[in-house]
Amino acid sequence: MICLNSELDIPLYRQLSTQIMESLVRGELSTGDTLPSVRALAGDLGVNMHTVNKSYHDLEAKGIIEIVAKKGAVIKAQDQKITTQRLEHLSSEFKPMVVEALLSGMDETKIHTLITNIISTVRED
Amino acid sequence: MMEFTILFITILFISLFQIGIPFFVKRTVVFGVTIPYEQAQHPKVMQYKKVYAILTALVAIAAIVGFFTWGQTGRVSETQLVLIGSIAPFIILIAGLSFYFYFHYKMTHLKQEKNWFGEVKQIRVADLTARSKDEMLPSYVHLIPAVIAVMLIILSGNLFDQLPNQIPIHWGPDGMPDAFTNKDWLSVLNLPIMLIMLQVMFFSINLFTKRSGIKINASNIQSSKLRQLRLRKYTSWFLFVTNVLMTLLFAFLQLNLLYEDLFSNGLLVLLPIGFMLIILAGALILAVKVGRVDSDFEGTLVLDHSSHNKTESVDDDQYWKGGLFYFNRNDPSVFVEKRFGIGWTLNFANPIGYFVIFLPLVIILVFSFLI
Repeated sequence: MICLNSELDIPLYRQLSTQIMESLVRGELSTGDTLPSVRALAGDLGVNMHTVNKSYHDLEAKGIIEIVAKKGAVIKAQDQKITTQRLEHLSSEFKPMVVEALLSGMDETKIHTLITNIISTVRED
Repeated sequence: MMEFTILFITILFISLFQIGIPFFVKRTVVFGVTIPYEQAQHPKVMQYKKVYAILTALVAIAAIVGFFTWGQTGRVSETQLVLIGSIAPFIILIAGLSFYFYFHYKMTHLKQEKNWFGEVKQIRVADLTARSKDEMLPSYVHLIPAVIAVMLIILSGNLFDQLPNQIPIHWGPDGMPDAFTNKDWLSVLNLPIMLIMLQVMFFSINLFTKRSGIKINASNIQSSKLRQLRLRKYTSWFLFVTNVLMTLLFAFLQLNLLYEDLFSNGLLVLLPIGFMLIILAGALILAVKVGRVDSDFEGTLVLDHSSHNKTESVDDDQYWKGGLFYFNRNDPSVFVEKRFGIGWTLNFANPIGYFVIFLPLVIILVFSFLI
């Protein structure tokens, strides 16, 4: 299930990418599954096709899906081990948020608990 | 007497449908105004629906009783009967529409006054697996009856020279031709060409409905999804049955034109009536199957208490002009579910819709003026 909130500051296409990745984490989607066509999903959500298109390209860049001619957006097999390049990228994405958390008065344990909580919410939902 | 019965059944059917609309449309949209799911059984909302039904019923009863007593006097000519009988449904429809606009206005005020949606979180929902559960017929089934239309054209071409010089172009309710024209290619091929236009229209309606969005309401995911899937499935079947019946009817008329007196008059009278009854029965099944889900007929509200913060689907009233006409440039859907009634309406911001619906109709009209 995909839920987008148009009142959040996060752009809709980012919300969509995150939601699709969450479905993967929960096992609602698995390798080889095809995502709905851009037109179909945009119609279901009542959003512009560009939003869905942007999200699919975002997911393709992240290596989550593969856009195959005639078949559409197919979920790729996920790497078992993370590459150094990918790790560096994630690390640079995490960094500003960790810094912000530290400045907001969170210590290391609190940040660890926060992340554990996020993981369990995503998995259980 | 036959015309009287047909007209009477039609008026009765339209009346019952028009009276019942507020109760079998989605309960989150009342008189074209979106309200939160929790408020669907608000006493004011239920009161508006009841008053609408009573008012429409009064008009309908007046029209039916009037038509019945007038028709029984025995001093009525056939033309008068058909004329008045065809106007009566329009009176009921216009009355229903006027009451709709009155309550649309009342609901808009009620929503503002209560500040519904003021504090609720509004979200858009989609189910990634919904399309695998979609049971719409494939669009190509509409090409099967088209084979018959093509065969009729070939057959008519072969028999052209043997045809009489006068070609019937209009049939009365008794199945007998009552208007004729001189023989030329256009008048001989008129029926099959119109038929092909209709079939193309049916094909594209099915195609674009299939491509349109499966809209789900965030506060009652299960029943809103079920309603959308049922609407898609049953309307596509209804469309196909209509296509087959139209094809049969046109084929009968064309064959009767090609081979004079091929069918008995009795058959030509019974056929359109039989088809009309099948269509009415189909519309009834469609209304029951779709109308009982996610409407007042579903019974008590199924409130999901698991989530603490209130959630509601996006209030898209801004895209619904007068609560009746959908105009949303962002939405690539060509067809969306009607807000007041059962079935589909166009997304008027999408030009494809105009081509699908109006182009074949314009071509048919142009053709009927040419001959």
